[in-house]
Amino acid sequence: MFFWQDPQFGDKMITLMAALILVLQIMMVAQHWLVTIIRVFAVQSFLLACIAATIAYFNNAPHIYAAAALTLLLKAIILPVVLTRLLVKVDIRREVEPFINMPISIIISGMLTLMAYVVAESFQRPDELAGPASLGHNTLAVAISLFLIGFFMMTNRRKALTQVLALLSLENGIFLAAISLTYGMPLVVEIGIFFDLLIAILVLAILVYRIRATFDSTDVSRLSRLRG
Amino acid sequence: MSEQAIALLVQLGLLLLLAPFITGFSKTCKARLQTRRGPGLLQSYRDLHKLLRKGMVIPDTASWIFPATPYVLFVTTLLAGLMIPTVSAQAPLSWAGGVLAVVYLLALGRFFLALAGLDAGSSFGGLGSSREMTIAAIAEPALMLAVFTVALGAGSTNLSTVAEFALGQSWRFLAPSQMLAFAALFIVLIAETGRIPVDNPATHLELTMIHEAMILEYSGPYLALIEWSASIKQLVLMTLLVNVFFPFGLSTDWSALPLASSFALFVVKLLLLAGVVVLVETTNAKLRLFRVPELLAVAFVLSALALISMFIF
Repeated sequence: MFFWQDPQFGDKMITLMAALILVLQIMMVAQHWLVTIIRVFAVQSFLLACIAATIAYFNNAPHIYAAAALTLLLKAIILPVVLTRLLVKVDIRREVEPFINMPISIIISGMLTLMAYVVAESFQRPDELAGPASLGHNTLAVAISLFLIGFFMMTNRRKALTQVLALLSLENGIFLAAISLTYGMPLVVEIGIFFDLLIAILVLAILVYRIRATFDSTDVSRLSRLRG
Repeated sequence: MSEQAIALLVQLGLLLLLAPFITGFSKTCKARLQTRRGPGLLQSYRDLHKLLRKGMVIPDTASWIFPATPYVLFVTTLLAGLMIPTVSAQAPLSWAGGVLAVVYLLALGRFFLALAGLDAGSSFGGLGSSREMTIAAIAEPALMLAVFTVALGAGSTNLSTVAEFALGQSWRFLAPSQMLAFAALFIVLIAETGRIPVDNPATHLELTMIHEAMILEYSGPYLALIEWSASIKQLVLMTLLVNVFFPFGLSTDWSALPLASSFALFVVKLLLLAGVVVLVETTNAKLRLFRVPELLAVAFVLSALALISMFIF
């Protein structure tokens, strides 16, 4: 047996990629430059597609390959391109200072990860042996922390565009949880979610552009006043 | 002479002689990357030699701390270096202390250096000291957490035990906790050795200097000692990274033949790491001083994540 056919090796690679995904998520929290955040998101999605493909390979599950390919195409290529174009259009290059300053946001993200770990621990089944069937189960904590940090980033940032990106990374967390616990949902559901996401991002992109056109800024904290 | 004594002398010589070479290598490399010719590889040795022969000026306001600091710094750095496995997994002073001793010996040296910066009575010295301490206060917890992650796997804070444990497990560095800890320690290395995103070793510009500001009043042999300890400190930290995370080919005892191959590999690994540091230095701009805590907070969270992921995965 070659080493790449060994589920143990697959398990190690998945763990490694999940850890990198987590690091990228925290990098997003620490970034000011919008272009960099978009690129980090693209890399994160790419890693997610890799995890999905690894799970598909070890479980002989072709429909997960489809999900992996969709993730790669949509989240790692199309969405970053769309968002970069939007960025050029609204002409905003960097985020203003978030509501909570950077070092503290980073430390809060670390604490959220800790919380995710505590939550995920109750799902752990330590008696399970590492085999194709249990691949990626230990990434649940990472998935939950992606989710929590995504939420935190959405509330902490002012720019509409960063909030869109936070939403996307939050969705990455949900995808990771789905794929690691259930080996992916049925393909129809996956495709449904992806198109949902695509449409949501297109609508949000237009919305961001309109906000910018109306208020001369994409700072959503300015949207709190009603106008007659 | 017993084997212990030989080991001690070999490692002492290694630290003293190799450290300026690594510093010189970094300088030359950096110059080449910036398409300058740069100093030769041996320039650091010539600098030390020249400084050691010069006379020196001591400020009138200085107390005993000023002349004592170079010696304290030199001795603590060397002692820390002797507790770290370099060419053999058995560090000569590993019985005396583990990684906590290493970290706090380095901290003691830094404490004295900061005091000396204030002691000289120039305004730049105080500025440098306060900056150095600001950075150290954040870099140190990151360093400790990252080191604890490694120690947790080996079940001991003794660096020889840690290195031997790491040696026994090939591909260990692919584990997420190890990679995260390595990344955190790499940032700490850059901060502690005063490399570009944090400090620039090649400038005396008052707005940006940290380490240089503290030692501004030193001259002659004292300056030589301080420069020498700075490069030994860099060597110590780099050795920590190299031997704890990539211990391939590390000799487990002090017999001659494995030691030679271990030495060759050790130097190659150090030069590679120095090359990476230089690459980071050349491709990044220096951070504003108020942005430095952000970078170090990243290091801190990375090492905290490393510690957590020891339990998650």
